[in-house]
Amino acid sequence: MSTLEVIQQMMMSEFDLKREQLGASAKLAELGIDSLATIEFLFLLEERFKLDLNSEPVPIATVGDIAIEIDRLLAHKLADAPA
Amino acid sequence: MNRVVITGIGVVSPLGNDPDTFFRALVEGRPGIRKLASPWSASLALPMAGTVDVDIDAHFSKIRRIGLDRVTLLALLAARQAVSASGIALAGTAGENAGLFWGTGMGGATALEASYHDLLVNRAARLKPTTIVMAMNNAAAGQIAIEAGIRGPSYTYSQACSSSAVAIGEAYRAVRHGVVGTALAGGAEALLTQGVLKAWESLGTLANAGSDQPETACRPFAKDRSGFVLGEGAAALILEEHVAACRRGASILAEIVGYGNTTDASHITQPDAAGQARAMRMALAEADLEPSEIDHINAHGTGTKVGDVVETRALKDVFGDFAKQVPISATKALHGHLMGATGALEFIAAVQAMREGVAPPTAHLWHPDPECDLDYVPLVSRPLARSFNVMSNSFGFGGSNAVLVARRYRAASL
Repeated sequence: MSTLEVIQQMMMSEFDLKREQLGASAKLAELGIDSLATIEFLFLLEERFKLDLNSEPVPIATVGDIAIEIDRLLAHKLADAPA
Repeated sequence: MNRVVITGIGVVSPLGNDPDTFFRALVEGRPGIRKLASPWSASLALPMAGTVDVDIDAHFSKIRRIGLDRVTLLALLAARQAVSASGIALAGTAGENAGLFWGTGMGGATALEASYHDLLVNRAARLKPTTIVMAMNNAAAGQIAIEAGIRGPSYTYSQACSSSAVAIGEAYRAVRHGVVGTALAGGAEALLTQGVLKAWESLGTLANAGSDQPETACRPFAKDRSGFVLGEGAAALILEEHVAACRRGASILAEIVGYGNTTDASHITQPDAAGQARAMRMALAEADLEPSEIDHINAHGTGTKVGDVVETRALKDVFGDFAKQVPISATKALHGHLMGATGALEFIAAVQAMREGVAPPTAHLWHPDPECDLDYVPLVSRPLARSFNVMSNSFGFGGSNAVLVARRYRAASL
């Protein structure tokens, strides 16, 4: 499953949203996910992907933005891993 | 000075989740005290509470619930009812002339306790990011304002058992003096957590488990009383300036005519008859009523050994010879002690009693205490001989006394 698909699945269960609402370009604000809900969700993602999202805040406006950020951090994590 | 009228009420309580169901249950003497279903309830001496049975999922989406403690969910439900019943529209500039006056004792107790559990028991490295906005005492006021569009002043009063009576009293004053044209007032409490209940248990004010009918454990003014049973819930009212309410064709339920607020300044938990009597006199004076013109009283009547005797003494002091003639109901026996919500809930009970002309019973009063020798309407409800003016007493820890007086609505000022 791609990162985007994992995020979509988690959003469906956390927020009771439907898959068709959660396209990559869907805006969080329009889904009713405000800044506090976004932070809560990012905490869940950190646990799911074993990541630290606290490093530098990035603008997250859409469902796809979250997937891009997670993929970026996962790539960093791989690069930083001892050979 | 403006006249202040009530144009909408809302109730979420152990006796039902709308004002009519609540009052009908009170009049019929149905108990709202039930066994607490929490997994830790066996740790309590008396695992009973006045719990609210409401389908939260049916009223709030999962996204909406993020960042909302149970106390705020209950508050929102009561506030929605009051706004809807009043028919008032607060969108746009109307909301700027509206204020929010809310009461709570312990705010988001569930969220706070869950965070402590995560931190101290689960050893979590960090806590839920919404913990603060769920637990803070003014969370309910902020969320109600967002939903209702109230953009004037907002206040949260935390005066223990008198919190929401104070909130209503201060709202009444604000409308009376023209600070706001409309006020949403009331209170909410949802403190049935293990930590809070155990703390109350230690204080020794809760009813004991000595009865084979635990749902009757709270017995105000009875010889065999042993304390109160905690409850949860919310109650809300819309108060409006009289002329504006008439102009928009609002249906007027009652008029608030008096408010007394005093502090005992004697002991943090022991009530003081003198402080209570001063609050009652203050409310009567503002209402321009003689004690003999009060037709029904909703007592604070918690069912504690000391509290009920002191309130009886204060009532005798204020009402003199008439004290034995006024029907007085202690409804906590049935709905429990809702702390920050109880003043508003009981004021609504008093207003409903006036409107329907019937005093709800003081349930479980099989054995009256000779020291509490007033007409406490034992066991069964009773039609009121007159029902023009009612009083509701709320006396809280910290020595906070709040008394409200409401009058049957008449268009012409007397």
